[in-house]
Amino acid sequence: MIPPESETKGTSEMSAAGSPSERAQEAPDLSALGVKEGAGHQVQVSGLHAYYGQVHAVKGIDIDFPANEVTAIIGPSGCGKSTMIRCINRMHEEIPGARAEGSVTLDQFDVYGADVDVTSVRRVIGMVFQKPNPFPTMSIFDNVAAGLRLTGLKSDNLRETVHKALRAVGLWGEVKSRLNEPGIGLSGGQQQRLCIARTVAVEPEVILMDEPCSALDPIATLRVEELIDELKERYTIVIVTHNMQQAARVANSTVFMLDGELIEHSPTHDLFTVPKDERTERYVTGKFG
Amino acid sequence: MQETRHQFREELKGLEQQVLGGLDIVIQQLDRALESVSYQDVELASMVVADDDRIDGRYLEVHQGILSLLARQAPVAGDLRIVAALLHVIRCIERMGDQCVNIAKLVPLSGYESPKDKDILDALEKMGQYARSQVSQSKEALGSRNVELAQDLVHQDAEINSLNRFIFRRAVEVGDDPDVREWAMFMVLVARCLERIGDNTVDIAEQVVFVVTGLFREMADASTPNQRTPTA
Amino acid sequence: MRGVLLTGALIALIPLVLVIFYLLQKGLSSWSGSFFTTDPNGNFFGNPGGIRSAILGTLEIVALASLIAVPVGIGVALYLTEYGGEGRFAGVVRYFVDVMTGVPSIVFGLFIYIVLVLAKVGGAFTGWKGAVALSLLMLPIVIRAAEVVLLLVPSSLREAALALGAPRWRVVARVVLPTALPGLVTGSLLAIARGMGETAPLLFTTAGAFGLTFNLSQQMNALPLQIYNDILSPRDVVVARAWGAALTLVALVLILNLVARAIARRSVA
Repeated sequence: MIPPESETKGTSEMSAAGSPSERAQEAPDLSALGVKEGAGHQVQVSGLHAYYGQVHAVKGIDIDFPANEVTAIIGPSGCGKSTMIRCINRMHEEIPGARAEGSVTLDQFDVYGADVDVTSVRRVIGMVFQKPNPFPTMSIFDNVAAGLRLTGLKSDNLRETVHKALRAVGLWGEVKSRLNEPGIGLSGGQQQRLCIARTVAVEPEVILMDEPCSALDPIATLRVEELIDELKERYTIVIVTHNMQQAARVANSTVFMLDGELIEHSPTHDLFTVPKDERTERYVTGKFG
Repeated sequence: MQETRHQFREELKGLEQQVLGGLDIVIQQLDRALESVSYQDVELASMVVADDDRIDGRYLEVHQGILSLLARQAPVAGDLRIVAALLHVIRCIERMGDQCVNIAKLVPLSGYESPKDKDILDALEKMGQYARSQVSQSKEALGSRNVELAQDLVHQDAEINSLNRFIFRRAVEVGDDPDVREWAMFMVLVARCLERIGDNTVDIAEQVVFVVTGLFREMADASTPNQRTPTA
Repeated sequence: MRGVLLTGALIALIPLVLVIFYLLQKGLSSWSGSFFTTDPNGNFFGNPGGIRSAILGTLEIVALASLIAVPVGIGVALYLTEYGGEGRFAGVVRYFVDVMTGVPSIVFGLFIYIVLVLAKVGGAFTGWKGAVALSLLMLPIVIRAAEVVLLLVPSSLREAALALGAPRWRVVARVVLPTALPGLVTGSLLAIARGMGETAPLLFTTAGAFGLTFNLSQQMNALPLQIYNDILSPRDVVVARAWGAALTLVALVLILNLVARAIARRSVA
């Protein structure tokens, strides 16, 4: 018996206006975002080192993230996986004393180039965090629009952009009658999808996800995973997860990290049936964790 | 490094022991079935038929155990391969058990004190020995994850196959006595059962290679004589 | 144990209750229509007048002081939380803010007296100089309260805004400040309430006056000054006026506190 999605606080997901058929599983509809232009975008990380002061957290990583695929990063706590993806959108350097070396390129563009504006990098490489973090003083509408407003992007039709983003993440039916209500009034799973809509509204090329489902209940988790499956049609996705089953479900290829190093990078099927490295085998079979 | 998932490991080991035990039962059944053929012992044959329940029971136990393990523990990598292999192997065990029953059922049909052909009898005896040793070797290979032993089974199986062909030819040429010919037909059927048992051990060998290397290749058997075995 | 603590609490409340009781007893009788609508007239005989100029003077001076202290204070707090972080300079600033909270209020008055009044910058005693002295007193209070509130804004919100590609100033202006706003308002109101009641900074800067004036470049009256002047008078009716003024001052402070509380409660709901 599948339990109903639990609520954190505020409005129940079930009380949203709309017919029962609408309330039931609205699927994400990425076609709402319009025709996709151009080919996908790939990210290449090479020789990446990251430090927190003297602590050497990431020790020379080379990974290619193929376009329009989901790559999962797994590994035990403290292995450097969150640090590593934060180097991709240059969030790592926001921490006092933190620095990164090496190269990260988006297609041919060097993210760490000398004259590169950090905010423009982050507009193009979006991020979704572990704990849903909608802006508490803003309504649902304003939250989705926040990305555009905060980055100073002029949108010809802001309302349309917001509506499309909400449709894309499958949240439209649940919130269309209460767009002006506070964003924090939604359930945990809805809040996370709201944050994804906020990221998508800015039209990034890559989406980084740092344990996006850790704070969600199983049903909400599955809906977000279903959304990720849809999202990869338009974006290149990198997801850090400590849940191996999740990596197995959503990712095309999986990376295993340990102590700041890359141990194995294989297609997901291979990594979970015939891992190449002994340490990978021990980790995924739970011999250590 | 501290061993985790203790219960899971115990369960998995338990399942493997049950499967290996199943192979022991097959060996027992095979021995008895062959003896009943040699001595035309109808009573022994009926015991073999009755005891097949043990194998069927073992099959159900292992099947349930695997389902439960998959549902509750989500095995991956090496653990997943061994679970998949065990499921395959227990089916082979069940089929081998059925072949032993088939052999036993042929005993009363082949008549009492019927005339026999010495060549056929000798060949059958040799086939029986090969079959027995193959089942035993497959158990060893699985239990110790020994790829060389597994691959050697193919060679032994080649012997069984050639003996099977010999018995068939002899049965065709066995002479004009209708009693002898009838007996020979039954012996051909027995030989076929033994040959099938041999094929099943080759299946088990393939699974052993899969568990160790992650690769699954059909090994050469009677149907695909020219396929080469994979190197470890 | 509980009994002991309860008794202690009750004992601590006694002076407070007594103060309020005395205030009401002695001050309430002075309240009247003319009390709030006439200025003190400094006459030795006859009707001494009300406290209109004192009330308005207080309001004007404190308004100006707030105009200085609140933006500057929030600005410094923003620097400390958003940009300074754990740096050396930020540490030094914090240290000085802490020191300032401990400086006696009269020292602020003396400081302005020397720097602005004696130097005859834009006049001698003026209302605006009193406001400056008050603002110096209010500033560390605002900074401290604002810093606490700003630190309460979850860093996950800042991260989310940064990750969207917002420049830091926009993160502060559009996300951090609106989220912290109720707390900032509350903190500012409390600082203002404090400033209202301070006497010493005004003694050597504004010095007081009798007449009503809206010109901050002149000497102005203020409630604390009025009380200070009146309480030692030989005339009973003037002393009564002092009590009335004290009650008025306490009432103003109380109102401000209640407003601050109401805002704080609304933001939590």
